Amino acid sequence: MVHALEEVRRTLVPEGVLIDLRPMAGRWPVEVTSDRSRHPIGWLQDLPNELADSKAANIAIKEAARRGWFVRESKQSFRFSYYWDTPEEMREFIREEWSGFTELEENAFSTTQNAWADAGTDRRVRVQLRMHLARWRKR
Amino acid sequence: MTLQKDPEETETRYLNKTTNFSNQRVLEIGSGEGRLTWRYAHGAGGVIGIDLVGDALKVAAADCPATIHETVSFVQASSLHLPFPHETFDIAVLAWSF
Repeated sequence: MVHALEEVRRTLVPEGVLIDLRPMAGRWPVEVTSDRSRHPIGWLQDLPNELADSKAANIAIKEAARRGWFVRESKQSFRFSYYWDTPEEMREFIREEWSGFTELEENAFSTTQNAWADAGTDRRVRVQLRMHLARWRKR
Repeated sequence: MTLQKDPEETETRYLNKTTNFSNQRVLEIGSGEGRLTWRYAHGAGGVIGIDLVGDALKVAAADCPATIHETVSFVQASSLHLPFPHETFDIAVLAWSF
């Protein structure tokens, strides 16, 4: 990863900008939402390999800063939401797209189904990721 | 499947608040199917998206909005060996890829 940052730096003009945008590893809340209500259900939990990748990315960018390649100008976080119409669609997506990276906690799916059945007609299932957004300047 | 990703466009707001892409030459690393690219490419001076996954880049090329077709291109490449000369870009975006 440090080598990739060195390559990026090579292709940037002097004083060029590097944007680091990625999900923060950890636990992501699963909720059933509607226009009128929000019911927390449980959590999606990142698996160890995803946590390790995130840690490696943090180490690499710190190393790039330590070597004087980039200086950080800003750092923010925000929420990024995924919405599905049904719990089954959420489960299918997680199996197809996030397999090996994250998994639903035990009982979270059945709990989601129950909450979804009790919610209003505009109900949806939501997972919210916490995003990291940092701006770096080439030195 | 009716999946919606960030319908509130929070990501777009934060990204464009953080950086002014107007007339800038942008390298996007991990551009995938172009979901993020479409959110800032309007007004950029040029965008090259790279990704290791060729199928994703084909989708991106096919889905590229006509209004930015002249601005955006996609290349299958690794961030470890960027196929571009020194000092080519004003901005590099690590797009969910690092």
